[in-house]
Amino acid sequence: MSKWHISRRRMLKGLGASIALPFLQAMVPPGMSHYNMAKRPVRFACLFMPNGVNKYHWTPEKYGSDFELSKTLQPLANIRQEVLILNELMNKGSIFPGAEGHFAKTANIMTGYPIYKTMGENLNVGGISFDQLVAQHKGQDTPFDSLQFGTERINSGICGATGFTRLYGSSISWKTPTQPCSREIEPRMAFDRLFRNVVPNKKQKEQPWKRSVLDQVKEDADNLQRKLGRADQDKLEEYLESIRSVEKRIADEGKSKAFEEQITPAMKKELTALDIRIDEYNETYEGVDVTDKLRQMMDLMALAFWSDATRVSTFMFANSASNRNFSFIPGVHGSHHQISHHQNHDGPMEEYRKINEYYVAQYAYFLEKLQSIPDGEGTLLDNSMVMFASGLRDGNSHSPRNLPVLLGGRGGGGLKPGRNLNFKEETPLTNLYLSMARIMDIPMECFADSTGELCEIYS
Amino acid sequence: MFFFLGARAEVPMDKEPEEEINHVKVVQPIVEKHCFSCHHDTNRSGGISIKAFFMGLEDQFEDRIVRAGKLWMHIMDQVRSGEMPPAGEPRMTTEEQEELLNSVNVILTRSLNANNPGRVVIRRLSHNEYQYSIKQLTGVDFDAKSKFPADGSGGAGFDNFPSTLFLTPLKMERYYDAADEILDNAYASPELWKQLVPDTYRESLFRKFYNWAMRFLKGPEYGVERPVKAAEEIIMPFASNAFRRFLEPKERDSYISLFREVYLGTSSGNRFDLALLETFKAILISPNFLYRFEEEQPVNHPYALSAFELASRLSFFLWSSLPDKELYEVAYREDLHDPEILEAQVKRMLKDPKARRLSESISTQWFGITKLKEGSPVDPDRFPEFTPELREAMYQELVEYFHHVMTDSGNFLDLLDSDYTFLNETLANHYGISDVKGEELRKVNLSDRNRGGILGMGSVLTATSLPLRTSPVLRGKWVLEEILGTPAPPPPPDAGELSEEEAGAEDASIKDLLVLHRSKPECQSCHQKMDPIGFGLENFDPVGRWRDSYGKGEQIVAWDTLSTGEVFRSPAELKEILVDKKELFARNLTEKIFTYAIGRRVEFKDELFVKELMDNLLENDFDTESFMVALVSSYPFRYKVNDNAEKFRVLAKN
Repeated sequence: MSKWHISRRRMLKGLGASIALPFLQAMVPPGMSHYNMAKRPVRFACLFMPNGVNKYHWTPEKYGSDFELSKTLQPLANIRQEVLILNELMNKGSIFPGAEGHFAKTANIMTGYPIYKTMGENLNVGGISFDQLVAQHKGQDTPFDSLQFGTERINSGICGATGFTRLYGSSISWKTPTQPCSREIEPRMAFDRLFRNVVPNKKQKEQPWKRSVLDQVKEDADNLQRKLGRADQDKLEEYLESIRSVEKRIADEGKSKAFEEQITPAMKKELTALDIRIDEYNETYEGVDVTDKLRQMMDLMALAFWSDATRVSTFMFANSASNRNFSFIPGVHGSHHQISHHQNHDGPMEEYRKINEYYVAQYAYFLEKLQSIPDGEGTLLDNSMVMFASGLRDGNSHSPRNLPVLLGGRGGGGLKPGRNLNFKEETPLTNLYLSMARIMDIPMECFADSTGELCEIYS
Repeated sequence: MFFFLGARAEVPMDKEPEEEINHVKVVQPIVEKHCFSCHHDTNRSGGISIKAFFMGLEDQFEDRIVRAGKLWMHIMDQVRSGEMPPAGEPRMTTEEQEELLNSVNVILTRSLNANNPGRVVIRRLSHNEYQYSIKQLTGVDFDAKSKFPADGSGGAGFDNFPSTLFLTPLKMERYYDAADEILDNAYASPELWKQLVPDTYRESLFRKFYNWAMRFLKGPEYGVERPVKAAEEIIMPFASNAFRRFLEPKERDSYISLFREVYLGTSSGNRFDLALLETFKAILISPNFLYRFEEEQPVNHPYALSAFELASRLSFFLWSSLPDKELYEVAYREDLHDPEILEAQVKRMLKDPKARRLSESISTQWFGITKLKEGSPVDPDRFPEFTPELREAMYQELVEYFHHVMTDSGNFLDLLDSDYTFLNETLANHYGISDVKGEELRKVNLSDRNRGGILGMGSVLTATSLPLRTSPVLRGKWVLEEILGTPAPPPPPDAGELSEEEAGAEDASIKDLLVLHRSKPECQSCHQKMDPIGFGLENFDPVGRWRDSYGKGEQIVAWDTLSTGEVFRSPAELKEILVDKKELFARNLTEKIFTYAIGRRVEFKDELFVKELMDNLLENDFDTESFMVALVSSYPFRYKVNDNAEKFRVLAKN
């Protein structure tokens, strides 16, 4: 152990000069890297829950800071001072003729526009999603501009009844209006992508010729582009862009070295523990209780924020209309989507509520995890904005009005959490995005159908 | 550049030559006057925006109208009958009405007569296609589905649909890692490596020393020509196979120079192999391998695919993989467009074991049982007997059955009803059939006619159930969508309490459900179509076992009347009714397999081709081989037309 410390220090010393240069360009004072600057960056995460909520037990009694947590929000008890409960926000983009079912209220939850009804030919969600917008502005200093996590494979097939490809139900992050981001759904693979070079015995094999290989295929793609028509060129552009992004990562060796070097022993300890936990889970776990898997994903997100591997992340607890079997919760017999169509019967309504509460508890877990990690002068949660949302209010009627939306964290001081806020009916959800952009100093006049900022959430 | 700017700034100088009437220009002002006010993009009365057809580039208007040909036929019906514009709005004059009807009619008819084969967007290999192509190229088994982020599906619900196959930075990273892993495996296995590199180049000790010495005299590249020559012999066949065509000289040179670069830059003893590995790696992540595309010809009429392109379409359709040696040979030496030669190849390829991939791909995605591969869809506490072995047997039963229908029985109608299936001991026990021993699935004759065909299969019955119980609604909906191709529309936006998917609580009896659905007129019209079909299958429990009652003594009565009037008293009788709906099944089957094979959706302009294929089914007793040959010989399969929109943008930009 001590040996490692010495070599690390020596290495840092040696690297000093070469690291400083790129950061100088990024307007960081000499001798500092953004890793040791006092002002920590604000992180943004959006956690998506499918199928809406039991509307009778979601909204807390009383508004302002003196609110009483509703039954469903009880898991937030320890952390209520760090959360905003936002009522009466709606996604106007989810209301258009033909917007039946779930898909039209999922893919656009962060774009705010109506999606195009298609079985696959003309996927379009109207605009880029808010997380990707943040990634464009704030993702350039980190190894990954953003991360997209999920837990379920993309639903295959098309929905004959509503006329949408189910792909729409599995994507909330859109790099462009027509291109969804790929999600990681396996903790093992997600972990390795981010951290395999910083935990023991995982280091990737050297790829000394990677750049030459990439040059070669880029040349192939350029040649190909010349032979194609418009639509084909657009499609191949994805390839070129992906190649460029991989190239950028290897070109920026200094950055990834710097990233690896600033992994502290405390982070390393957590990473190693998580690494083992994932392996054990994969080897031994059988059953339907997904809690541990969800938490592995969220731990990864927390570690990615902590280590500054990224500052933007989204996580779909499950795909839209997910029929996850929740019989592992006492008092619940059946699956999520099915129960969400409760017909206002008391039994299913309560089961439905318990599932909502379950997801809120996972959200609370994530917030508490962030709170337990020091970051700058406060905690990681202080420097984060963690959104929790569903695209529906009531799953039975598929209503996209008064969405269940929570916002955790202090946004680096920009937010004043610990309150239950009621906005005017039909306030655009996009006003929230506009406000979060303001907190992150992203210059923006408006976002989709936004009509103004939610000044009430500011500190 | 200057010329373009100038041209744009000026008023067009030359007058449009006197041409035939531009029918779009006739239609546009009339609908603008009468329809736009309600049917525009933000209002979309009735879910329809007519204005949307007339926005953007003018030269695309007609194409859009044709694509939505069925909708326009419907619109014209409404106009003709006077339902639209609705009462209270200004009426169309008789003249306007006639002009409108006539022009739309011309546009639509013209599209049918144009014999337009359509075009397919460049498409990335699906994960299946990647896996099988890799197997064919390198001999390595690579589990692409578990290592790559999943793709969605589109068109008719298949995962080989071009516009739902994306490439993202994450996927690119995975492709790189995959190529690395695959080639490592190939290199580690002497057998596989020998296939790739039959004659490896070895520098003798003397040669090594000689070259080393000569490099001081003649420069660092001395002696590299021999290994490069040897490598070329190895790289070119591999690359041509991977790219499904010959390489252009320029491409060949660039791959050889990659080899040379690595070779010269490496000092270890096996540098010949290492340089080959890096070159192979580039080939495996090249867009020429990862994407299927067909080169555009500089003509403005439809044209036949090149022989190699047609060979690729054929092999990816029937085998989910690259052409084999024989197919390449035929494409190279003979005319693959020749009907007899093409037919012979289709028959040969369908007999090949690789055709089972087609059966698996189509059947599991069409009938929606892919989720059985991913995990248990039922509650393990309620159904502990639903073991992974049983799940796997169910999945394989459908694939085996579909493949048998496709290649042996030769009658697509067997999918709906037959007196046999494929069972192993586990599955036979599950169905209550004795005398089937062992793990191997085999053909078993059924004495109970309720079971035969896909509607009696555990896989389909489980996939259309909920984790704890059956859902007549889901099963009925499934039959309407997947068998008959007539999905019920979604419920009206404000259907309120009654939801589209599932009604009734866990303990509500099936009868309550029925009553519930029929109590509201806005729900009844559709549930009347779905529910009875689902009730007809209630004798099968959530995991596909036979049952006579719900357990609490409540008998199951699979007796109902379909919305179309037919009465049935058992699953067997329900199937007989479905088998009689030949036309619907034929159209659905045609559209499904057409979309899977060609990679684009069936559009209005394809109506004549679809009709031909349907007739082929109806006239030949749903003969599978005859249908497959007809499909592959069809115009849309063998021809393409250029992308008309802003051609060769990249060139224009330069």
